[in-house]
Amino acid sequence: MNPALLSLLTPLATAILMLLCRSRAAVWTIAASLLSLVAAIAALYQVTTDGSQLIHLGGWESPLAIRFRVTALSALLLAFTALIHLLVGLYAARSRHSQTRNTDYWPLSCFLHASLASLWLSTDLFNWYVILELLGLTAVALVSLAGTKAHRAAFNYLLLSLAASLCYLLGVALLYGRYGVLDSLLLADMLEADHTTRTALLVITLGLMLKAALWPLHLWLPPAHAGAPTAVSALLSALVVKGPLFVLWMLWSQVAPVELGRQAGPAMAAAGVAALVSAGWSACRTPHIKTLVAYSTVAQLGYALLALGMLLRWGVRELHVALWLFVFAHGLAKASMFLAAGEMQSTLGSKKVSALRGATQTVPVAMFAFAVAGGSLIGLPPSGGFLAKWVLLQPLLLEPSHWPWALGVLLGTLASAAYVFRVIALSFDRAPPPRPDYNPDPVAQWLTLLPALLVWGMALGGETLILWMSGVAY
Amino acid sequence: MPDAEWLFDGTLGILLLVLAGAALHARSLYAAVVMFIALGLMLALTWARLGAPDLALAEAAIGAGVTGALLFSTLYKAGMDRHKRATPNRIALLLPGLAFLLLLTAAWPLPEMHSPLPDQVMAHLKDSGVSHPVTAVLLNFRAWDTLLEVSVVLIALLGVRQLYPSHGEVPTPWPLMLAWGRLLAPLTVIVGGYLLWRGTDAPGGAFQAGTVLAAGGVALRLIGVLPPLGWHQWPVRLLVLAGVLVFVAVAALTAWLGQGWLHYPTGSSKVLILLIELMATASIATTLTLLVVGEKRELRP
Repeated sequence: MNPALLSLLTPLATAILMLLCRSRAAVWTIAASLLSLVAAIAALYQVTTDGSQLIHLGGWESPLAIRFRVTALSALLLAFTALIHLLVGLYAARSRHSQTRNTDYWPLSCFLHASLASLWLSTDLFNWYVILELLGLTAVALVSLAGTKAHRAAFNYLLLSLAASLCYLLGVALLYGRYGVLDSLLLADMLEADHTTRTALLVITLGLMLKAALWPLHLWLPPAHAGAPTAVSALLSALVVKGPLFVLWMLWSQVAPVELGRQAGPAMAAAGVAALVSAGWSACRTPHIKTLVAYSTVAQLGYALLALGMLLRWGVRELHVALWLFVFAHGLAKASMFLAAGEMQSTLGSKKVSALRGATQTVPVAMFAFAVAGGSLIGLPPSGGFLAKWVLLQPLLLEPSHWPWALGVLLGTLASAAYVFRVIALSFDRAPPPRPDYNPDPVAQWLTLLPALLVWGMALGGETLILWMSGVAY
Repeated sequence: MPDAEWLFDGTLGILLLVLAGAALHARSLYAAVVMFIALGLMLALTWARLGAPDLALAEAAIGAGVTGALLFSTLYKAGMDRHKRATPNRIALLLPGLAFLLLLTAAWPLPEMHSPLPDQVMAHLKDSGVSHPVTAVLLNFRAWDTLLEVSVVLIALLGVRQLYPSHGEVPTPWPLMLAWGRLLAPLTVIVGGYLLWRGTDAPGGAFQAGTVLAAGGVALRLIGVLPPLGWHQWPVRLLVLAGVLVFVAVAALTAWLGQGWLHYPTGSSKVLILLIELMATASIATTLTLLVVGEKRELRP
């Protein structure tokens, strides 16, 4: 069997079998993530040696049927998804504070994994709609695992997610009515810049921006991501918001007419800068730890939007690399940061940022993970976040007319430094006497550090990674 | 006679708008749900008028039927009267108006466009194993979409389970309901079975048949013929998962031993499609029944 398909099939089959046996054992999910990771790496190897391949589902020719496309990027995303699931699964299995013991977290996270895997592989606009529905519903179910207090956030997430799906579907219906096919690779050669296409792209973009929590349609994200169980927050921030972003990127950079992209680019880039600044400001102001991390997700997505906008405006190839490096670096760093934040807040017994006073003495490893992940979010060398920012800044600094955008990146960096150092500075204060139920779990704290170490490890092979990613086809 | 048709379609269109407005602005939630169900039925009629009988069946069964039942059972649990009416302001009216104009201008040139897909579907219909184009698209050409759709129904049930819904006691049925339920249940089996079987060469299929069967299941549970149904019973779980399970198994086996993911072997298309449809029907029927009258006993052991 094709390894990319195996990487998709493993979590799907595991989820169904776990539900059938009513098993809530972590070991199956972790084994499935591991197997899926191995298969994804095999797919990556196959793609780099033989080039990208098309899989015709059901053996029918497109446009009649759906096609899967395995490119270097989609294989990399498959591996990334499996890796994050594996790391988060390990933490969730070990930690007392993951709020996932004996819940449906395990089969549901397998479903989440499978829907993300099929999203990376698919090329069909309607198939993406179904996958986005599946992804959104699974995410809502996972958020509601946190109990009654998360129900309102989960419900708002559900309603907005449904509204966004309908927006997307409306745009797809317009495109289908206009061009008569749904395969994005076929549409790429057919799209013209007429009124119908513009409107379709507009509603699709609005729907996807709402789903990906891109500024200014991000207001549902902080309560949902902050209210979810810790392991779920990590999965949602690291992976789920990247799904709609992928579709948005495919649509604008591969399908939409170039001149439309050139017009829309600056608006997207401006929204990206606004996200960096305004969400960074909110993260500096919020009193709660997990809300701070959630706002940081909104801010960091601004970099991706900025990269996408400028990619559309100038068509510089390196910006593809910058965008995806941001996604990988942010995913790893944010997984670590959410896990560390959740572990610290449960160990210290308070959701407030002020409870982190003296955290370097009470929960040292988790605080270290938070700081290391924060370093990558700021873009300190040598980390994955630094690599991404480096690739993003190069085309910006080359032309004097692009310098205002570089200023936006600078403002974003300052904002992220502010909210990360807000926590770190507090953690070096003298710790108050520990609460009576203070009982830290060093192993769980070390597990929160793993993704952060990987994101700093990205910098070790930085040059190879950038050169390889610049060489592959998008 | 075109004039009568115009009159009918025009009345239908106006009725749709009126019912939609009534559902939004009804004085009580109960009335709003009733209006919504009526809207669903009129919408089904509209689909039938537009020449899409499959959609009409689905809309009548799911849009009006199941959704109505779910809304009523929600009302029963949440209490009838807690309803705040929002006063519409002008900007809130202006925005949909502008969006409507934008979409109208965008959709205006579409009737002149032609898609190559319907011709291709008809050209490949004889190789698909079924003779109804909609079934061919749903279970052969784009079977992957349908697999994911069946999973969506499953995830909806799983999501609802996380909320620990309290279904409360099933109210004691009154005599008329007892008699009517006993009459209704066998009918739903016949109608559901017919819809499923006809799906290969005429409008119908798993979703519609499953919904009709679910109606029978709900009726039987309400009159106390069926025992309490819950996730902790393995036959119930097996029925809920059967559709996805068989579908994924077919996909995996065709990819592993056959020619590719969901590439049915020549000659066995019809058997496989029928098997998948049968299992999907069972799953959809059980899932919808559980959503309306399921028990929650095992969630907090």
